[in-house]
Amino acid sequence: MKRLFIAALCLLQLSLCACSNDMNRRELDEINLIHIMGIDYSDGMYVLTAVFSSGQGADPEKNPSGSEDVSEGKGATPFEAFQDLKLKNKKTVSIANTGYFLIGETAAAEGIETCLDFLSRDETVKMESLIFITQGVNASYFISEGMKNGKMIHEDLEAVEQKLHELVTRIDNTLVNILNEMEDDLSGLLIPYLKTGEDSFNIGGYAVFDGLSLADYLDIDTSAGINIIKNIMRTYPIYLKKGVSLSVSSLKSRMKTELEEGLVWVDIHVDFESMVREVNTDEDIFRVEEQNTLTRLQNAYIEDILKKAVDYSKDTGRDILNIGRIIRNRYAKEWSGIRDEWKDMVPDIQYELHVRSRIAKSFILGNRR
Amino acid sequence: MENTINSAWIKKLFEKSSDITIRPIKINQNNITAHLFCVDGLVNQELFDEAVLKSIKFDSYLADCRTERETIDYLLEGGAYDAFTTEVSDYQKLLKNVLSGMAALIFDAEKKAVVYDLRKFEKRSIQEPTEENVMKGSKESFIEVLRMNTALIRRRLRSEYLVIEQLYAGRLSKTDIALVYLSNIANANTVNKIRSIIKSIDIDNVSTPAFIEEYLVENKLSIFPQIMYTQRPDRVSANLSDGRIALVVDGIPFVYILPCQLPMLMQSPDDYANHFLVGSSLRVIRYISMILTLFLPAFYIAATTYQNQMLPVQLALSTQAAKQNVPFSSAVEVLGLLISFEILIEAGLRLPQAVGTAMSILGGLVVGQSAVAANLISPAVVVIVALAGISGFIMPNQDLSSGIRLTRFVMALLASFAGFFGLAAGLILLVTHLCSLDNYGTAYMSPFVDVEERNIKDTVFRFPVKYFIKRPEDVAGQNSIKQGTGRADR
Repeated sequence: MKRLFIAALCLLQLSLCACSNDMNRRELDEINLIHIMGIDYSDGMYVLTAVFSSGQGADPEKNPSGSEDVSEGKGATPFEAFQDLKLKNKKTVSIANTGYFLIGETAAAEGIETCLDFLSRDETVKMESLIFITQGVNASYFISEGMKNGKMIHEDLEAVEQKLHELVTRIDNTLVNILNEMEDDLSGLLIPYLKTGEDSFNIGGYAVFDGLSLADYLDIDTSAGINIIKNIMRTYPIYLKKGVSLSVSSLKSRMKTELEEGLVWVDIHVDFESMVREVNTDEDIFRVEEQNTLTRLQNAYIEDILKKAVDYSKDTGRDILNIGRIIRNRYAKEWSGIRDEWKDMVPDIQYELHVRSRIAKSFILGNRR
Repeated sequence: MENTINSAWIKKLFEKSSDITIRPIKINQNNITAHLFCVDGLVNQELFDEAVLKSIKFDSYLADCRTERETIDYLLEGGAYDAFTTEVSDYQKLLKNVLSGMAALIFDAEKKAVVYDLRKFEKRSIQEPTEENVMKGSKESFIEVLRMNTALIRRRLRSEYLVIEQLYAGRLSKTDIALVYLSNIANANTVNKIRSIIKSIDIDNVSTPAFIEEYLVENKLSIFPQIMYTQRPDRVSANLSDGRIALVVDGIPFVYILPCQLPMLMQSPDDYANHFLVGSSLRVIRYISMILTLFLPAFYIAATTYQNQMLPVQLALSTQAAKQNVPFSSAVEVLGLLISFEILIEAGLRLPQAVGTAMSILGGLVVGQSAVAANLISPAVVVIVALAGISGFIMPNQDLSSGIRLTRFVMALLASFAGFFGLAAGLILLVTHLCSLDNYGTAYMSPFVDVEERNIKDTVFRFPVKYFIKRPEDVAGQNSIKQGTGRADR
């Protein structure tokens, strides 16, 4: 028994030693941890731009804020570019801690699946890292411009992520979500795009993909309409012409889809509550009539936003609301008959919008000025 | 003449021992002479004069006794001024009694002795427990004298079922050991087993507690304590009423409790002195500390050497920054600092208290800070090892603390060989080992591994007392109901 026990211990020790030889042992300070990676396509080559922090050393007082270094790699494919990036770096390069992938407009137009394929096959990549499209420019330009202005890029992107969390209840542009969406040929892929402002990066709206290639950019209102229909909107400001501003505080939406005689009917029901945020009018908003008027106006405001999303889908024939997926799941038999014509059917989808709301928790201070 | 009670033989036996007193005492004018046999320094002189000499000199009935037998009978029937007087005819028993501090009158013709229990030796007074002190609760702790300790237990359990069996171990030391249990609750098989183990101990001298412990534990290779010790009489009484068995060893200022399970070692008297929510919170902190002290250094090594993707981005960056310019690998840093920590503790224990404090400051603060400033170790490692070290000392039981500290090294080594895979392998081995431990018929990990959930009410969380209705089933043999439901009319 003792011999067996000792033999088992030796075996364990040997297996652990074998593991350590085959486990890519690397000290953390021997690795350049990329925290932002830009993916671009120009002149027939993929260009990867990696942003990593240059170490602060053991004494952070010498360089309290740290700094960011950039490195580039080029290749015929993103993976080749990544290998080039690795070769150019003195230290080992790792995307295990990369939190943000920025995809340049040209690379996105070339096809997002090419950009993301090598990431999907990397066992160390964080699947919850966020993906953004850089509107109108390459990711490398976006990064270099940001650094020229003295920005810490990863801090700005963290701020963008925070803003997203404030706006929506669920962030869908994670790597794992986008890879899943890409697998479904019916999904209208939407990825938020970023714009460079003077001092910071701003979230624009959604970049729309036709198939897996970048096709268009949606404005903020249309993107908000999509968020409302997807029931992920956390808050949204409403500016009424009467000098009253409100904000959506609690919103629920549901979509009912039916297929009748080859025609798709979609009922969208939105219920929300709002809070008065600003009153710049002499009218007494305490009165029931005035409240009813405000409610009507805010309903119309939200309905307009919904219409923008719906109209965009009808006008362009792009199924950005993923109606096709719902029809396929609900009407499996009929779907086989309409699968091939689905793209042509999208503009003919009949939408009905129902918006109901209530003004809650308002008038605490009244509107006396 | 050997092995019979005879004053000449005993005198010859102890002729070179200056502290042994053997002298004749004439009982009366009828030629009856007894030999006094005692150890100088262990006998209470005043009591001796009162109980032995005074009765011999002034007792008229004793003066009339004509034979030794008559004298012995009279002394045993009340002639001796001592309630604890016995007749001994066994030579070994006489030696044991006298050498433990009793006084004997040897009657050579009868080959018998009358033994007076007049023991008195210098002892500590009852003081506050040094390891298990509580804010609210008893401040008494055990001392080195067995009889005093059994009295402290008896004072708390005034039950006719409380049994204090006298045993002894050690061929030379003949150390008294009291086996204490409640006969209506304790498992008779366990009592018998412990009794037979103690009787089978065949060593010269029970000089340290470990001598007894090693005989009593069932898995001698395990570094986890399988026998609980306590300085507190109230804790002993609580465990006795749960059906456990206590061992009081003369010369040791604490009491052993058997059978012992891991959750018992995580309990502190403070848990019961506070509100149950406060007590539960303290226990949760203790369990968290156990996990931290076991796995934090190993986790750090695994995360910084193998699977750095496990770290959140900001943490990875700050850890990376802290490690820059440090020439050693994470494993060397952590293991080196852990060893240094143990050296500091060991040195602190050996040195006088005043010097020990100064050395702790020098070792912990000055050397630590200098090492960080000289880039010999990273600040992150100092934090990790300090947190793990302090967490290790939160354990209420020092034996458990030592076991966990040793296991921490094993985990760190496994992590340095194979990262999280090694850590996982270590965790599996640890859990398997703990679950395989059996302690006098009870699982060491009980009640975590029990099918019934009733005992879980006093483990990680301390439920209100009214829920402690039943005793641990595998510990208490005969009587499982501990108390009422606490819902009587108020």
